[in-house]
Amino acid sequence: MNFSEFKKLMGADPLNRDPETLRARQSSPEFEAAAAEAEAFETKLQSALHMRVPADLLEQIKGISGEPVRKRNWIPLALAASFLIVVGAAGIVWKQTHQWDSVESYVAEHYSHDGSKAVGMAGVNMPAQDVARILNRLDATADQQLSGLIRFIKFCPTPNGRGAHMVVSTDQGLMTIIYMPKTQVVDGEMVDFDQMHALLVNLDHGSAAIIGTQSQTVKTMVATLRGSLKTGLVDA
Amino acid sequence: MSTDKDRTNRFNELAEVYSADLYRYAMWICGNDALAKDLVQETFLRAWRALDSLNEMTAAKSWLITILRREYARTFERKVPLFTDIDKVSIADDEELEPDELKERDLLREGILKLEPKYRDPLLLQAIFGHSCAEISEQLGITRSAVMTQLFRAREKLKAQLQKSGVKGNVHELF
Repeated sequence: MNFSEFKKLMGADPLNRDPETLRARQSSPEFEAAAAEAEAFETKLQSALHMRVPADLLEQIKGISGEPVRKRNWIPLALAASFLIVVGAAGIVWKQTHQWDSVESYVAEHYSHDGSKAVGMAGVNMPAQDVARILNRLDATADQQLSGLIRFIKFCPTPNGRGAHMVVSTDQGLMTIIYMPKTQVVDGEMVDFDQMHALLVNLDHGSAAIIGTQSQTVKTMVATLRGSLKTGLVDA
Repeated sequence: MSTDKDRTNRFNELAEVYSADLYRYAMWICGNDALAKDLVQETFLRAWRALDSLNEMTAAKSWLITILRREYARTFERKVPLFTDIDKVSIADDEELEPDELKERDLLREGILKLEPKYRDPLLLQAIFGHSCAEISEQLGITRSAVMTQLFRAREKLKAQLQKSGVKGNVHELF
């Protein structure tokens, strides 16, 4: 390998450690100097490329693992095909979309899964653009009033697809709101679980569960939520 | 057969190992913080749904990068990203750099953003993910010698940018 070839190799792959490159590097001070300079430039390049990663990114990604997955398993598919012949498609559709026994059990199970953790992660404020980004993906938007109350937000699974899990600041302390864009509930129903309670409310499109401790009056959030969360933007 | 818990653990391991580098990669290809986060989240959402098709964890890095690149291509069809956010998410150890080093770093960043994708793509795969030339060749579907040439030229352009701005540092005189 001559010096020109060596320089090109260092320019393309400065951290190359194959035996031939190492031998060439050690063959003369000129080669060694070129390699050292290439490494020094690489350090600067690494520094320039480095950047902070949003603190909540990993947690939001881990939240994805709650999403329902349709696994491709041929034996159940074959059985389902037979079943289809016998009882028709309706039963199959129900089976594939039914993840929880009811909205009530979903709310209780979902909050038990990571509700307290989300409350624990609620910071002083959540960048408005992060709130907007997540809600926009769900064809919704929060006005300034609601946006200013949100201390944590992430995507979450709901009985019918993806929704948003929010922690909001109120004068009674932190409360949790789960927005379910494609689920309808019995409006005004209360669900009690694990010393918490949830109020289910229908919105223009979809619904929400407002969750708080037994000592919090969750219905105080209803007017704010209905007035500030614009839903179903695609249909509007 | 893996249980749901195994599946979740496997997914979380991928997230812990690769999410930060994927975010940095996404930032450098799109230049927009919100879009980069979206790209990474969509990447992992697709990965979660298709996790059973990933047979070897050793292939996970290239698999995730491929998903992200495809998602970016789809996103780019819908909206043009704004190249404005790199400085907002700049490195946390600014205070440890001397003014000259800061200037040099900023010039390099500017240079990286200005690189044509054919030079920037292999450089990012190598510098962020530690891809070998063979891996870059496979990822981008170009020959290994083309990868070597583009990597060399990418660095040459960055060094030229520094020289043009009067920063000499350790830039080799022959570059």
